[in-house]
Amino acid sequence: MSPGLHTKPAVVKAASALLTEMQGVSSSLTYAALLTDDGFDVARLPGETDGARFAGMASSMQALGDAVTHELKIGNSEYIIIASGKGYVVQLRVPGKELVLSALWDNDATVGNALAISRSYAQKMADLLK
Amino acid sequence: MAEHVILFTGPMGAGKTTAIESLSEIEVVRTEANNSERHIADKPTTTVALDYGEILIGAEEKVRLYGIPGQKRFDFMWAILKKRAKGMILLVNSDAPDPIEEMLSFIEEFRELYDRGGVVIGVSRADVVAGPTLGDYSDALERTNPDMVIPVFTVDPRNRDQMENVLLALIANIEMRAMFGMMTTEAV
Amino acid sequence: MAVEVNQVAGEPASVSMGFPVTVGWTHAAMAVYSVLRLNTPVNLKMHIEMHSPLLIDFRHHAFSWSTPLEIFPVDAVHTGLETEPTSDAAPPLFELPGQDLDGLLWEMGINSFGGAPAYWLPPDERYRLTRWPNLTQHRHTMQQMQMMAVLGNTFVSTSELAKLTGADESDAQRLINALSLMRILTRTSAAPAAVVVAPTAATKRQSLFGRLRKRLGR
Ligand SMILES: Nc1nc2c(ncn2[C@@H]2O[C@H](COP(=O)(O)OP(=O)(O)OP(=O)(O)O)[C@@H](O)[C@H]2O)c(=O)[nH]1
Ligand SMILES: [Mg+2]
Repeated sequence: MSPGLHTKPAVVKAASALLTEMQGVSSSLTYAALLTDDGFDVARLPGETDGARFAGMASSMQALGDAVTHELKIGNSEYIIIASGKGYVVQLRVPGKELVLSALWDNDATVGNALAISRSYAQKMADLLK
Repeated sequence: MAEHVILFTGPMGAGKTTAIESLSEIEVVRTEANNSERHIADKPTTTVALDYGEILIGAEEKVRLYGIPGQKRFDFMWAILKKRAKGMILLVNSDAPDPIEEMLSFIEEFRELYDRGGVVIGVSRADVVAGPTLGDYSDALERTNPDMVIPVFTVDPRNRDQMENVLLALIANIEMRAMFGMMTTEAV
Repeated sequence: MAVEVNQVAGEPASVSMGFPVTVGWTHAAMAVYSVLRLNTPVNLKMHIEMHSPLLIDFRHHAFSWSTPLEIFPVDAVHTGLETEPTSDAAPPLFELPGQDLDGLLWEMGINSFGGAPAYWLPPDERYRLTRWPNLTQHRHTMQQMQMMAVLGNTFVSTSELAKLTGADESDAQRLINALSLMRILTRTSAAPAAVVVAPTAATKRQSLFGRLRKRLGR
């Protein structure tokens, strides 16, 4: 309910730095974005992806994931994975924040590894916002 | 099972989610997220994917009620949701900066629902700000779409009785338009 | 100064200065129709037995009456009717906003002429809605709604309208009268009969409208 994190320059700066650092950890990371629950781009890695559009889509996906777990009564969704022939998207919420991390990986990374890195950076983002 | 998909469209804060909550017989599937645009619509949450509700008619038939997210940045959801719908309830909040312009842009965006079914417009939040008269909305529609006679009602989406009236007016319209062969495209 | 309505309206003598006591709304509807058609600034005051006076300020498309429209007295006894010329600059007849005149026109139109055509409607014409009335604000039946869905989409005569919707012809006529009084009908003798391409859609039992309406208990 706070004003959008995307409007806070300090948050945007920290988020950008964190994504750059994340890319340094794995060369398989081809795109990543931090976005608000209601679909605003906070920070993203440079690339061909339309960041604003992707932020909207990622937030819809996050909410649909939550709607599905709610429907099935299995608690909250922890992460979402979309696998395709050319790579996969790993997406999860920044713990305790109205913020989502969504990352695109190529097939050189294993799902387990990608998930582990995404999780740890989601946590780092949460710590930064404390 | 026969299914009839009705889409609720309109700008942020018009009352789409509220309307579906008023009409649905099942617990509404909601995709609300914290709203970081309180300056546009002062409410805690906003829809980011869709709303979904149902009215069952006997065992073999249901009316499916889908709501869109109101903001343009979710227009990929608009494209997904409009595919199967055969009618639209367009809600416009009277207290928007330019509700008539909002109405016209949603009519334009979802025109195919008029062509293949029917449209009813509900002007909400008229108790908050009186805004333009219904005549103003109709005049604007006549100017931009001279062949359309689209019903425009004031409506409070929190009021189930009024929402039922709006829904029934839409269904009556869709059926009459089919009867007179006025639809130019079929639902996919 | 009370002015006799026919002087203003220029219509054949139907409402007179020594106003005959009349039961129902036909005379009132004719007076209102005349004023609306002439579109000159006029205030109207109706005296109705057992009710406070009904005031209409046409400039603001508003009326004021202590009787709520939900209990519209169909058989009201009218004992007098005054029209009073006014000007655009003159103060309103009552404190604005008052009530939307359309609500009164709707009730008045439905409940006048005893189901016969309003006297200003020539025979052998077809009608079509130019815009819908604000249905959420008017008491209406599901059959009236269905008739309006026909009128919103094609030209029909009163008897065609009745046939298409299974309504009594007098009920169809009452609706036409009301919509005409509200000035949201266009009419012509030139329009051909509507062609029904999917006749089953509207027949009562098979229509979604019919089933949903029943489901919702309406
Ligand atoms: N006073 C008043 N409040 C209304 C009326 N209609 C809707 N509201 C309120 O306005 C708000 C509308 O919010 P939503 O139903 O979330 O609107 P929405 O169209 O789903 O908005 P998005 O999902 O953000 O696009 C709710 O708080 C309603 O209670 C009305 O006619 N009068
Ligand atoms: Mg909503």
